[in-house]
Parts: sequence; C-alpha cells; structure tokens
Amino acid sequence: MNILEVKNVKKNFGGVVALSGASLTCKEGRITGLLGANGSGKSTLSKIIAGVYTPDSGEITYLGKKIHYRNPHEAKQQGIGMVYQNLSLVPELTVWQNIVLGDEKNAGYFLDDKNARERAADIIHKLLPNIDIEKKVFELTPGEMQVVEIAKAVSRKPKLLILDEPTAALEKAQVISLFNMMKELASSGVAIIFTSHRLWEVIEICHDLTIFRNGQNVGSMDFDKDEKDVKKIIFYITGSQSETGIAKTCAETCGETRLSIRNLNLGTTLKNISFDLKKGEILGVGGLAGQGQQELMLALAGNFAKISCDAKIDGKPIKLTRPSNAIRNGIVLVPGDRETEGLFSKHSVFTNLIFPKIGIEKKSFIVPHAKLRKECEQIANILALKAASLDMPVSTLSGGNQQKVVIGKWLGLETKVLLLSDPAKGIDIGAKTDLYSYIIDQVRNRGMSVVLYASDTKELIEYCDRILIMYEGSIAATLDTEEITEENIIRASMRV
Amino acid sequence: MQGKSMKTGKHILRDYASKPEFSSLLILLVMFVLTAVLQKNFFEIKSIMRNINAFAPLILVTMGQAVVIISGGIDLSSGTALSLLTCVLTSIMKKNDPITGLYAIIITFLIALLIGFMNGFGIGYLRIPPVISTFATSFIWLGIALFLRPTPGGESVPWFGVFYNFDTLKDTSAFFSLLSGFLPPALLLVVIGCILWYVISKTRTGRYIYAVGGNSESAYESGINTARTQIVAFMINSIFIFLAALFFVGQTGSGDARMGDPLTLKSIAAAVVGGIALSGGRGNVYFALVGALILSLVNKIIFFANIPYAYQTLVGGAIVIVAIAGSQAYISYSTKIKEIKIG
Repeated sequence: MNILEVKNVKKNFGGVVALSGASLTCKEGRITGLLGANGSGKSTLSKIIAGVYTPDSGEITYLGKKIHYRNPHEAKQQGIGMVYQNLSLVPELTVWQNIVLGDEKNAGYFLDDKNARERAADIIHKLLPNIDIEKKVFELTPGEMQVVEIAKAVSRKPKLLILDEPTAALEKAQVISLFNMMKELASSGVAIIFTSHRLWEVIEICHDLTIFRNGQNVGSMDFDKDEKDVKKIIFYITGSQSETGIAKTCAETCGETRLSIRNLNLGTTLKNISFDLKKGEILGVGGLAGQGQQELMLALAGNFAKISCDAKIDGKPIKLTRPSNAIRNGIVLVPGDRETEGLFSKHSVFTNLIFPKIGIEKKSFIVPHAKLRKECEQIANILALKAASLDMPVSTLSGGNQQKVVIGKWLGLETKVLLLSDPAKGIDIGAKTDLYSYIIDQVRNRGMSVVLYASDTKELIEYCDRILIMYEGSIAATLDTEEITEENIIRASMRV
Repeated sequence: MQGKSMKTGKHILRDYASKPEFSSLLILLVMFVLTAVLQKNFFEIKSIMRNINAFAPLILVTMGQAVVIISGGIDLSSGTALSLLTCVLTSIMKKNDPITGLYAIIITFLIALLIGFMNGFGIGYLRIPPVISTFATSFIWLGIALFLRPTPGGESVPWFGVFYNFDTLKDTSAFFSLLSGFLPPALLLVVIGCILWYVISKTRTGRYIYAVGGNSESAYESGINTARTQIVAFMINSIFIFLAALFFVGQTGSGDARMGDPLTLKSIAAAVVGGIALSGGRGNVYFALVGALILSLVNKIIFFANIPYAYQTLVGGAIVIVAIAGSQAYISYSTKIKEIKIG
C-alpha cells in the first residue's frame, strides 16, 4: 500500500526556488532513499512532509488522505516522525527525559517516570547497549546525541519515519545497529525515508531510490528490479559523468619540509607525535574514530595553550600555544563543526568571508569595503558558491555551501598549511568534488601543504599522498603512496 | 536493567561536588558560622523566629523568580507586583468587617494570577524579550498600586495578623498561643511554597519548564506549547509573590506602593547565587532558597560587623558580586575538568 504520495510539490524561499516540482512515493514496509546534492531539495521536501514547511503548490497524500499540515505537531500526531540533522534535544535534560519529551505518560496526576525510563531504555539499548540513560544530553558525544534523537522519533511509533542524514555523526558499528533497527521497523510495516551522502549506505539499506537535482526528481531506481549501478547514480546526482582528473602527483611537485613537528604532547590526549609535512603534500590523518585526530588538528592550529611541542615552519621555530600564532604563520584550520567553530551564523556571507582579512592584515583604519567586496565575489566564483546574494545570513546556506564559506575565508591570505578537519562531512558529491579540486589545485600548483582528517576512508585514499594512522593519541603507522589501500588502512587502524 | 551503571559513593560525591549547588551550600555554611559568631543570641528561639520573619519575603520572591528564570525568562516586575498586591489587599479589607479579609485574599489571589498571565502572555505570545516585557509591566503594576494607595496605608482586618504571628489568634484557642512561641507563620508560607513547587515539578508542566528554558526550539519541535509553559511559570511566580504579600500585610497591616522595589534585583541575585543559570533550563528551586538565605545573612553580617551605614550597600553589593563570581568560577572550573577528562 502507498503510505505517502507526493505529487509535483513546489516551494520558494524568498527568491530562491527550493523545489520546482518534486514527486515521491513511499510504500508500506519499504525503505526509500533520497539522494541529491545539498540544495537539490531533498531536505526541503522532507521538512514539508513532516509539517515544518508548507508547500506553495502540489499535492501530498498520506494514508489515502490529502494532507496540509500547519506545524510539525499535526504531522507527528498522524504518525509521521522525522529525525533532523540539527538536533531537537534539550541539553540539560537526561537521555530518557529527552526520548519521552512531549510524549510523557502520567501515573495518576504525576509523571510516570518509571514507565518513561523503561520505554526509553528499551529503544535506545538496541542502538547503544551501554549508554547510561541518566546522563544529561550535553555530556554525550555528537554520535550518541544523534542516536537519542533517533530513539525519540522511533518511540512515537510512527507509520512514516523520515531520517535526514542520520549517519553523518555515527560510527560504523552504530550505523549497523541503526540499519538493523530500520529493517525491523520496515518489516513491521513502517515506511522509511532515508537520506545520506554515503552512497554505500544508501545502496545497502534502501529498497528503492529517488534522486533529486535542482529541486525536482531526475531519476529513480527500484532495487527489486534494477541493479545497483553507482556510476548511474552519480550521473543522476551531478548531471555529469564523474571525472577522473589527471592530477600531478606528489613526486613531481613536493618540495622541502614545510612543517616539522617533534614530540607533540597534550595531556593524555596526544602522545609523542612527530612528523614532517612537505611543501605541496597532502598528508592524511586516519584511524578509527575518536583516536585523537580532531584534537591533533586543533592542536596544530594552536588551540591548546598547554601543549608541549617543537614546531618549525619553513625552518623557523614557532609556538603552537595560541591560534593567532598559528594563523600569523600561515597555519589555518577548517574546523569539523562548521556551525559552532567555523562561522558566525547570524552574519552575512560577506562578513564571514572577509573576517580573517580584516582581523589579520592591519592595513587601513577604515575598512575598504569596495575592494573587499570585489575579492569576495571572486572567491565566490572560484568556489562555485551558490548564494543568492553575498548579504544573506550564512545560516541560510546549505551545508555544502557553508563549508565553502568556511574555507573561502582563508583564501587570499598566505596559507602555508591548510588543516582540514573532516571538511566534506555531510556534503554532497558535487560540492565535495568542487571543494577538493580547488584544494588540490592550490596544493599542486601553489605549493600549499594540507593535513587532511576525513572520517570517510575513501576520501583519504583518493586524495592523500601519505596517511598517518592514529591510535589512542599517538601515531600507530604511516602509509606511503602505494601502501595506501583500504585494507592497509583498516589493518593499521585496528593494529592488526 | 541493562545499561545502568553502578556508581560508587566516591563517584556520587564527585558528581555532586561539581554542581553549582554544592558551592552555594558551602557559602551558606560559611555565612551561618559568621553570623552565629557576630550575633550573640543567634541560637535563641526569639532570635531565630525574628530571622525567619526577616528572610521569608526574599525567600518566597526568589523561589518564584527561580521558576521564571528556569523557564527561560526573568521577572523585573516582581517587586512592584508585590507592592501592588499589598495595596489591593488593604484596599479591599475593611477594619471592622472580618469577612472582607477572606474576600481580599480570594480577589488578590486572582489578581496575582492575572499579573502572571499578563507577564507570560507578553513573552510567550507577543514574543517580547522578558527583560523588556517585565520592565514595562513593572511600571503598570506600580501605576495601579499608586492609584490605590498614593501613600502607604489602607485597612486590614485584625485576624490578618495570623500571617505574621500566630499570637493574633490567641483568643480563639490556646493552641495558637502555644504555636506563637516557636513557629512563625512565615515558615509555613515558605513550606506552602515548597509544596507547591514539589507538586508542579512532578507534573508535565514542571518538566516542560526546564525543557522550554533549556532549548525552546527543541521543546517546540517536541510538541510542547512553549508559550503556555512560559505563562504557567509566571503564574507560579505570582503565587509565590502572593504569599509574600500576605506576610507583609500581616506584619504591617498596610499597603505600600514602593515596599517591594528592593526585592526585584535581590531575588535575581539570590537565584544566581543559588545556582540558577540565567540562561535557563538549569537549577534547583530549593537552592534558590539557599541563595536567598545567603544574601540575607550577608546583610546581617554587615549589620553586626558594625560597618558604617553609608557603606553597607556598597559592601553588601561587593559580597554579592564575589559570591556570584565565585559560584560561576566554580562552575567553569568543574566543567573544564570534565572537558579535559573527556577530550
């Protein structure tokens, strides 16, 4: 039976067309994958179905009836549950309190906390067997918070469950638990809409796919009938064949040592890390999640005052104790959590892009607006930044475009070492390719050096000249050029 | 039950010690000791009763303020609302007509709820920031209060004194005479307040007050009516203020349009000292009581330490700043320890 039918839905935001005619069908007990670039409309469509936005035109039929929700509560009451990318948890409340938030049951006049705890534990222990439900949410890791969010949606026993990028913050083991839960829900009749930028995930768990581009669906596949053709999927998403560019290799372009790190120590988090980074080299940082990779990136950018380390850039010794030291020496960080660390979300794109320039290059007393404006427009062009205008608040941009702003603001400054902390997380294939081709151009042709931490192993394999595998805060192994294969990385990460 | 971790005694103590409530208890202990040292008859019954009477109003107003702050708001109109309620009480009561006392209580209670509703409405539905909204309403309450009582005065029925001293009813029963020897009604008012909050905290509304204060968007997305929750928080606050008004009129028999003014900012400071986070969503209302006690004892200490009158306000303010700064520093210190351990 068709649980959901979406016909030709259109949605505008101000002057920007988010959906120009989207259609979708979801059947009972089937997992439908939504694929498409950031800004292609799939998130918007999900939110319209969940009642967060109202469509400008088009028809949505749910359980056989036409629906027109005015707010998310109405959708929820009808059995539509959605798990967002931006969490809807209250940090000060505990895990179990968050899971039952808004759906508490009473024993007499008072809250039935015992029942609530049991309900919460039942669901969340399927995904995270060891989590303490009495912990407050702000004490959890982002991955655990995402799981609480999922548990919350599932606990309402929805008939249609929409999962918007639920795996972005999760580790492989948690993803597998999530997939098991999804299979269980599907077999009990729940229809599921699943979005992810990791193609392998979508291919593995979904029964069928619908692909969006520029606000409408451009293709669909039913895995009961069609075969899982990755190239075809990428073609639909980007509208072009995936390019295998011919990039110069490090052997041709790498120069002398740019950054030399000896005996980097930070409490118990980072132990005795030493490595050299050549000019024009892309050095990867890999290993299992949570082995200190993000902390290493922050440390190299000068965020820890208590760090002890012998660092030299182009032969000159520097102290990595303050971010301003690092930046003045051309070491620049693109942080992992762009929303909290990389952007002033309420400010415009323009302000965000020029901020480092004004902060670091103290030239004139009065800010040269016209000149900066021109530079910004150039940068926006280089990065194929899609923004209706440079004056829009940066929070209105899609994730991929936001990330471009985070990187864009460092362009035009003499960047010697670019530290990338999972820059392509949650970004679609099109934007990812743009991003990396720009970075690689800077590296091979201008001699910029890059340290790249990516949670997606495939990114490391594709772009890095050398990879440092981290384990419990120190470097367990180094893989060089030919040694870089998925098998070797996994072996080294698990210390096999 | 799967997943429940076993906490050793040491772990529980360490967890508790890092909470801001713990530091406020420490400060309270210090204040108690200092006061006991400076005030010779601190432990005498009469003296304790007098202290309770002096502290009760601030305790009540602070507890109400705490509820509002936890819900994500703040009430700058507490003091004038309190004054207004005393003026209403003494305008309805007629000295010679005992039943007017009952009418006064009922009507004033309803007006208190109305005050809370209006404050909450401005914030929840009109979306005016709490600081501005309650700042504005404070003038409305003041205006009405001055209209009712341009100068302090008004009438009060004789039995109203029961809210201040059980002695008032000694003619009705010897039981009251007995009580008046050791139990100040003010204490009962505080207990009533505590029971009120206890009941609320065990209901959905109590949980939602924390949710809305903690993250109002998340609360909204979870289906909680944030505006209604904020209104209820303000109405609870009004009930606490109402209890304080009963006490004041019981004590003085008159209404005064300006008598509540000093309590507004003090209640906010007391709440913060008691570990309530101004950002909302965090804190324990019973510890607001602790905060109010600390502030009240500070005043006592200044008085008994014979600090010249001209400097009393200055010193009192300085101590409050130190107490709050100390409490905040304690919070960020213990948070840093947690962060370093995790990261």
